[in-house]
Amino acid sequence: MTANLALLRPTGIPRAVRRAATGVPPTVLLAALVLVGVLLWSVAPGVFTSFDPVTGNTAEKLLAPSAAHWFGTDYLGRDLFARVVYGTASSVTSALVAVLIGLVLGSAIGLASGFLRGWVDTVLGRVVDVLLAIPGFLLAVVIVSSLGFQTINAAIATGVSAIAVFARLMRAETLRARGSVFVEASYLQGGNRLHALLRHVLPNAYRSVVALAVLQFGTSILVIASLAFLGYGDPPPASDWGLLVASGKAYATAPWLVYAPALVIVATVLSVNRISNWMRKAK
Amino acid sequence: MTGRYGRYALLRAAQAVIVILLAYVLTFLVISVLPGDPITNTLRDPQNGLSEDEIQQIVAHYGLDKQAIIQLFLSLGRFVTGDLGFSLQSNLPVAQLLGDSLPSTLALAGTALLLAVVFAVVIAYGAQYLPGRVAPGLLRSVPSLFLSVPNFVIGLVLIELFAFRLHAFTIIDPDSAVATFFAALTLAIPVSAPLAEILIANLDHESRQEYVLVARSRGLTKTRLFARHLVKPSMLPAVAMVALIVGELLGGAVITETIFGRDGIGTLVQKAVTSQDVPVLQAVVSLAAVVFVVVNLAADLVSPLLDPRLQPDRAAARTEPGVVVPA
Repeated sequence: MTANLALLRPTGIPRAVRRAATGVPPTVLLAALVLVGVLLWSVAPGVFTSFDPVTGNTAEKLLAPSAAHWFGTDYLGRDLFARVVYGTASSVTSALVAVLIGLVLGSAIGLASGFLRGWVDTVLGRVVDVLLAIPGFLLAVVIVSSLGFQTINAAIATGVSAIAVFARLMRAETLRARGSVFVEASYLQGGNRLHALLRHVLPNAYRSVVALAVLQFGTSILVIASLAFLGYGDPPPASDWGLLVASGKAYATAPWLVYAPALVIVATVLSVNRISNWMRKAK
Repeated sequence: MTGRYGRYALLRAAQAVIVILLAYVLTFLVISVLPGDPITNTLRDPQNGLSEDEIQQIVAHYGLDKQAIIQLFLSLGRFVTGDLGFSLQSNLPVAQLLGDSLPSTLALAGTALLLAVVFAVVIAYGAQYLPGRVAPGLLRSVPSLFLSVPNFVIGLVLIELFAFRLHAFTIIDPDSAVATFFAALTLAIPVSAPLAEILIANLDHESRQEYVLVARSRGLTKTRLFARHLVKPSMLPAVAMVALIVGELLGGAVITETIFGRDGIGTLVQKAVTSQDVPVLQAVVSLAAVVFVVVNLAADLVSPLLDPRLQPDRAAARTEPGVVVPA
């Protein structure tokens, strides 16, 4: 019925879009735009550059940024912009994998602690304490050194070191929802614990957990870039953003080799943080 | 209060010991149970030139021929008695390697902590009390920017600017005071962000309280109100945050020390990872856990003394104290 009405009024859809967009600060829109761009780079890198990321023209090595080579070229004459664009997929998907690991395992631990209480809470609480006691980056380094130097292992390591943060938040949210009047009411109406969990606790915890997940996405990009910078990700010719910065720093005469990928990292993470902040405040 | 507080202190100390031991176990599991056998790989690496007899000796000493669970208890036993073992790479006692690297890292992390606190305080109080709208607004977005720049990029930019262009220091002498300052700056910038955020959140929270309105209506000026009523409550949660930050400093030291060429714990970790030097890795992670747990224990024991609302005998009776922790 409402769909029919919308069809009758041709201005309806744009107005809806406009209404959704008003109230969104311009910086948030810009941030969203940056992230959409980054996502497109990772999905279809070939659309954005005609250069090959792996083979270069050695006659054109270490060229400064120009109209032909936006980010300049590296010591093998490879177009740096192409390398950044093709490196996006692994830099971004590995961060997504990391967040997913932290989110799923951390939320499960937090939910079990907060909902079951008792000895489960005590045991899981100590596990979280231990994960928090080891500095996140150090833990990630140890895990990746044990699993082997690959980007996917760096992602797993980053995810494991994020479990504790998610577990703590989820436990707090679960406890809050569990003690609320509407959960009590649901029990009084004959609802069982599973029903209360699915119908009341999870939907209420969802918002803040999602905001944290977005924030962790930015953090994960940084951690994975740091691991790649130290050489703990896929080896060259892979072009993870952190690895590009690491290999660029050897050429003091070609500072763009460091600044261009660094700028892409900063712009991406800044956008993620902006959106996460906005989501947190919007609730 | 003393009886309650004493019991609370003992309980927290016992918990701290348990967490340290569990952290050791977790590290052990991560290193030895996950696929790959770094110890045997390193021992059998022809580059190390160990004879079969020597290998057997090392294997027997560490009990490597035994089951994982027995190895774990042997290893835990050695850790409790303070025996950290020997580096597989240099054959030096791990305790000695740690002792040699510690001063450099302490200088770095100490300076960084100081800088981070100064930054956070300047940002937070500036955001609250600078006149106009533009400057405070900009200051409020600084923590988010600080959180978005990777540690290694800050380090490389500082080296490029101050070492190569302005010749303020040379990277050949990484332990000089100026080089230490810039390394500490690298480490401090990302670490100051969460501290600044929590200070800003708490100042916002405190200035909305009714006692502020009362004090203003009594005719207190903004500055006196700030100095007499707002500094202390906004600092208290920050004390706990500082304790949490200490761990981040140790993690960040891995990157910072590598970039600035300092011989500290971070570089030790980096070398140990490259050469799969398990005893060194195990020891550094345990050390980090000990530092973190002890500092947080200290913060937990001190804060009830600073803030009467947190005293164990009163905490139960009251609801949450006026502390805002950003999610």
